[in-house]
Amino acid sequence: MLETLNESHSASDHPALVEIVKVTKIYPPDVVALRNVSLSAAKGELIFLTGPSGAGKTTLLKLLCRQEIPTKGLIEVDGNDLTTLSDNAIQNLRQRIGVAYQDFKLLPRLSVFQNIAMPMEVQFRSPRDIRNRVTELMEKLGIREKQHKPAGKLSRGEQQRVAIARAAANSPLLLLADEPTGNLDAATTGLVMALFQELNENGSTIIIATHDESIYQGTNHRKFELQQGELF
Amino acid sequence: MRFFLFIFTQTLRNIRHSWGVQLMTLFTVILSVLIFSFFYLIYSNMLQAGEKFGEELRLTVYLQSPLNPADQKEFKEKVAAFGKVDKINFITSEQAFQRLAKQLGNDRDVLADLDPAFLPFSAEIYPHKDISNLTRIKEFADYLKNLPGVQKVQYGQAWVERFSHFVKLLRFIVIISGTLLILTTMFMVSSTLRLTLYARQDELKVLRYLGATNSYIKGPVLIEGFALGLFGSSLGLGALFFLFQWIKNHFSSAGFLNLFELRFLPMTNSAIILLGSIMLCTLGSLLSIRRLLKR
Repeated sequence: MLETLNESHSASDHPALVEIVKVTKIYPPDVVALRNVSLSAAKGELIFLTGPSGAGKTTLLKLLCRQEIPTKGLIEVDGNDLTTLSDNAIQNLRQRIGVAYQDFKLLPRLSVFQNIAMPMEVQFRSPRDIRNRVTELMEKLGIREKQHKPAGKLSRGEQQRVAIARAAANSPLLLLADEPTGNLDAATTGLVMALFQELNENGSTIIIATHDESIYQGTNHRKFELQQGELF
Repeated sequence: MRFFLFIFTQTLRNIRHSWGVQLMTLFTVILSVLIFSFFYLIYSNMLQAGEKFGEELRLTVYLQSPLNPADQKEFKEKVAAFGKVDKINFITSEQAFQRLAKQLGNDRDVLADLDPAFLPFSAEIYPHKDISNLTRIKEFADYLKNLPGVQKVQYGQAWVERFSHFVKLLRFIVIISGTLLILTTMFMVSSTLRLTLYARQDELKVLRYLGATNSYIKGPVLIEGFALGLFGSSLGLGALFFLFQWIKNHFSSAGFLNLFELRFLPMTNSAIILLGSIMLCTLGSLLSIRRLLKR
C-alpha cells in the first residue's frame, strides 16, 4: 500500500487548487480551533493532515467545503473565495468536492447503492452512468453484496466505506477525507488507499486528515501537522 | 428531461417514505373540496331556481274599479314609468270568478249564490328580469300601491322574502366555508409537508453538503403539493358527483326538489375548483419548503 502511494505523481508543477492564507477560526465564545493557518495544495496533489484529536483537522476540512466560514483569513478553492460565494456558487462548488465525513453523514433508511448514488443524482447524471460508477466503487471497496441493505444496518467499517465511495462517486476535483481509515482493518485500509491513489492519479486533489501513521509513513506526499490549531 | 426524471423519482421516494402522513393530507384535501363544492352546488342550484321563479313572478294589482280600455292604456303607461314589464293582463271580476271556480274544482258549489262582482278588477303584471330581485320588486310593489285607484298589491312577498333570505344565507355559508376551507387546506398541506420535511431534515442537510441546488430540493416538494391538489380535488369532485347522482335519483321527485331541475356544477366551475385546489396545495408546499430552506 505504501509503495503504491510512493509512486503517486508529483503535483508541485501544477497550479494551486487550494489556498489557505492566515486563517483563524474561533468558535463562540472564545474557542480557538485554528490560528493563522496557511496552506496551499496544488491540483492533483495528495496531502496528509496529521495531529491529535482536537487539533483542528476537522475544522480545516469543514472550512474547505464551506460548512464553516473562517473568523479571519482567506480560503480559495479553484480560484473561488469561499467567504464571498453566493448560495448557488457554493452548491456548484460542493458538487465538485467530495467529502468523506468522520461521522459518515449517511442516510440510514436509504440503501448502500442509493447513498453512494446521491452526489451523482444531484448532478443529474444518467442512470446508466450512476449504475456503472456505483457498482465499480462498491466492488473496489468490497461492499457490493451489501448494495441493497439500508446504510443504517451496516457495521461502522462498512458505513465508512460507503461514505468514502460517496465522496469518490463524482471523481471530484477535491476530495476531503476525515479519518477515512478510523474503523477499518489493514486489508480494507489498503482498498481505501488504493482508491484514493487512483483518484489522485486521475487528477483529484486529496486532503486526508488522519492520525493513522500507517497510511502516510514512508510516502513522499506532503504532511502537515496540526497542534492546538497551529500548523507545523 | 433527466432533471424531471430525477425530480419525479425523488418525489416517489419521498411519498413512499411518508405515505401515512401524505394519505391523511390527501383525505383532508378531499374533504375540504367536497364540503366546499357541496355548499357551492346547493347555492348554484338555488340561484338557478331563483332565476326560474323570477321568470314566473307576477304581481297582482287589485283595483278599486274596473278600467275601460283608455284607462287601461293610461295604467300601463304609469306602470312602465317605473321599469320595463314583460306583459300586463287585466282580469275582470267574471274572469277571476271563473278562475276561482276552476281552482275549487268539485267544491265550486260554495260559489253558487255569490255575485262575481265581489271579486275586484285586477291587473297581473309580469316584471322584466331587470326588476326580479327582492329589493326592486319591493320598490315596484310600493310604487304600484301608490298609483291612483290601486287597492292592494300581492306578489307572495312572504315566500319571495324567505327564499331570498335563504339564498343570502347560502351565499354566506359558501363564502365562510370557502374561506375557512381554503385556509384549512393551505395550513394542513403546508404543515404536513413541513412535518415530513422536518423528519427529512438530516437528509436535506446531507443533500446541501453534496451540492444539491434549491430546485433539486424544492422540485419534489412542489410536485407533492401539486399531486395532493390534483388528486385531492379530483377525488373530492368525483365524490360530490356520486353524491349528487344519488340525491338526484332518490329525491328529485320529492316535493321541493321537484320544483326545479337539479344540475351539477358547470364544467368551468369544476375546473376552477380543481385549479384552485392545485394552486393552494402547491402554494402550501412552497411555503413549507421556503421556511425550511431559510433555516
